[in-house]
Amino acid sequence: MPKNDSAFQRSELAKLLTACGESADFLTFSLYENSPFFIAYFKTLVKPEIIHHDILPIVKEEFSTLEEIKEKLLIEDLSITDNIPDIQDKLMTGNLIFYTKEGQPACLAVPAPAVEKRQVATPETEYSVVGPKEAFVESLDTNLNLVRKRLPIPELQVKELMVGKLSKTRIAVVYVKGIADSDNVNTVIQRIQGIEYDEIADSSFLSQMITDNKNSPFPQLVDTERPDRLAALLAEGKVAIFSDGSPTAISGPVSLITFFTAFEDYLSIWNVASAFRLLRLIAVLFSVLATSTYVAILTYHYEMIPRDVLSLLITSRGSIPFPPFLEAVLLELAIELLWEAGARLPTKIGQTIGIVGGIVLGTAAVQAGLTSNVLLIVVATGALASFTTPIYQLSNVIRLIRFPFILLAQLLGLVGVAVCFAFLMSHLLKLTSLGRPFLEPIYPLRVKDFKDSIIRLPFSKQALRPLQIRAKDRVRFQQEAPQKKEWDIDD
Amino acid sequence: MLPLPPESRKVSPFFVFYLIVAAQFGLGVFSFQRYIVKAVGNDAWIAVIIAGLSIHIVLWMIYQILNKGTNDITVIHKELFGKGLGGLLSLALIVYLLTLAVSVFRSYIELIQVWIFPQLETWYMALILSSLVYVYVIGGFRVVVGICFLSFILTTPIFFIMLEFPLRHVHFSHLLPILDHTAVEFLSASKKMAYSLTGFETLFFFYPFIKNAPSSQKWVHYGAAFSTFSYLVIMIVSLMYFTKAQLLESIWPTLTIWKIADFPFLERFEFMGLSLWLFNALNSVCIFIWAGTRGLKQLFTVKQKHSLIFVIIMTAVVAVLLKNREQIEQLNTVMGLVSLYVIYAYIPFLFFYQMIKSKMRRTS
Repeated sequence: MPKNDSAFQRSELAKLLTACGESADFLTFSLYENSPFFIAYFKTLVKPEIIHHDILPIVKEEFSTLEEIKEKLLIEDLSITDNIPDIQDKLMTGNLIFYTKEGQPACLAVPAPAVEKRQVATPETEYSVVGPKEAFVESLDTNLNLVRKRLPIPELQVKELMVGKLSKTRIAVVYVKGIADSDNVNTVIQRIQGIEYDEIADSSFLSQMITDNKNSPFPQLVDTERPDRLAALLAEGKVAIFSDGSPTAISGPVSLITFFTAFEDYLSIWNVASAFRLLRLIAVLFSVLATSTYVAILTYHYEMIPRDVLSLLITSRGSIPFPPFLEAVLLELAIELLWEAGARLPTKIGQTIGIVGGIVLGTAAVQAGLTSNVLLIVVATGALASFTTPIYQLSNVIRLIRFPFILLAQLLGLVGVAVCFAFLMSHLLKLTSLGRPFLEPIYPLRVKDFKDSIIRLPFSKQALRPLQIRAKDRVRFQQEAPQKKEWDIDD
Repeated sequence: MLPLPPESRKVSPFFVFYLIVAAQFGLGVFSFQRYIVKAVGNDAWIAVIIAGLSIHIVLWMIYQILNKGTNDITVIHKELFGKGLGGLLSLALIVYLLTLAVSVFRSYIELIQVWIFPQLETWYMALILSSLVYVYVIGGFRVVVGICFLSFILTTPIFFIMLEFPLRHVHFSHLLPILDHTAVEFLSASKKMAYSLTGFETLFFFYPFIKNAPSSQKWVHYGAAFSTFSYLVIMIVSLMYFTKAQLLESIWPTLTIWKIADFPFLERFEFMGLSLWLFNALNSVCIFIWAGTRGLKQLFTVKQKHSLIFVIIMTAVVAVLLKNREQIEQLNTVMGLVSLYVIYAYIPFLFFYQMIKSKMRRTS
């Protein structure tokens, strides 16, 4: 019964059109009097220029079938379909559809999407003084273009997936075939396919949904907004994930050391870069331990303070009414407040907050005798030190883990600090990134991977890719055979 | 035959080094001097060497036993002695290791109580320590190896750096005359030393967890040599720094040595050192408890995560029940004696028994 069947199909399409028609930005009209064809589209999703210049002038003539229109239009990717969900998708992604009300069940979809996107701008959270100044934007295609420009090889492969019942977010899994471990790629793809969620707004959603330990405060995938950094990660054999609408790409597997790596490290000489990387590690250690050690020593182990330092501390702390713990927590909270208040404010107001909070409040607190100068210095240096991490996500963790340390320092002194450190280490030892150990190369100890971890050796020493990523092809470049002739002075 | 652990749970052979050092180099470095000096006075360092060398022979025997058995000790016991007697022997070894864990556990709490917090309740510290042990052992063997490794890189450099301070005030003449004691005296001193070097029996349980296990033997020897060297160095320094009378009087000479350190920003280093030694106590307890619970799993097919909770609670309870110095000392003395029998009687016996049995099988 072809007639009934087509009538059914028609009514499905009609239902869809009525449903869409409830929105004010949905247009449907016929081309001219008695035309068998109707046009329907969302005017907020299409580009008027395409419709007015490329479509309407051509379809003004009389046509009898959709195929004829299809042949006339000089636009790629046209399709004729009678699949209702397909038609709906086309409509929602900026297509015009041509349809007839007479018997024919098919629709012609003509893509005319209006793409709103930001210009490629300079990186803001991973700014570097030297080096490229491009950053990813919200458009997936632009981002892929930025990466492809840096790795112009066919082996750079992109797998596209769709996630999110409502947002229908396009996700791209990018890797270099032949270098990236296929286990890693499969793990990523499987985990993304397993995501059940309605709306994916940003790649950090994905990052949280596919990490190994979802309760860990530590980020287990690195996120970057720099195409140069991402290209370097891909060339190393890592897998990258883009999400449409997100200006950051995530990448893995990573180790903790990756979060201490700034791309600038690769742009400066290796010994300078290594020194700064070590500085960052020490800074983070200081940031985590400084306040708690202060609390522990001043509360329980005042014997440890040398006499000269003790006199200084007595002058500074003599009139403070609070125990060191309360003093430290108050000051740490004040700094957290300052941070949190300034985080989402426009720059101009943010500066005011900094001046009022930092300078006025800090000075006043010391003069009023609420906190000691020494602690103020310790806490402020600790806060400053936590900013040295190149990846923003990690500095949040460092902010957070200071507090359990302070609490245990109050309970058990230095033993408490050690206990807290042991708990932290137990967590880090168990953590994995896409199934690869997170503390590598320290544990499991891989001496060869130290060449680009807490230090960075010159490029000539980086002939092999790191073991952690399990790259298929470990050889970055063929090393020249060492010269046989031994050197001598003035030879 | 019980299944061997999967490849993904195994560790590289060189990690055995850290495991052995973790088991041997623990809280013993603080207090071992007195017992040995009591027997041989200024020749105590020779006793350390003798004990260290004898340990290498025992380690060699352990490897011979395990290489032939190619599985852990519970399986080897079953093959050699049958299910009943073999199981009993395995259980005895497990109880021995768990008691060692209790001994380390309680000794660390005691150190904290004596040196840092005199008012600290034992149960309070036991609660914290046992939860730490739990989070490590529940992570499996690799995490236990991880704490051993981390503890090694955190504590051993500090141990050697701290020797710099007493070296400014040493008297070489304290070491003279060398070899001034009888063989019997040396033997009794070495017996005392062996207790400090104990703990490597855990090898019987973690052997199947090592990749290409027979090749790890050299790392075991390096590990034992490293521990012996550390004990030797601190012994020589203590002998030269203290007089014999002082050494006989002090329970924790190493900590007394740490007290003299004076950095421009820090004094009384033993507070910081003892806090850091948490890692050193923790790793020993973790290996002992991991090995014990692993043995229980092999013997009774009880889930390790369940027996772990039971064992940790028992450890903490026993530790709290040991109220004072005398009881801890008593436990240590008994364990010293037992470990002597385990090292020098039981392991050689097992070695020869296995050898004879395999020869008999070949001839028949």
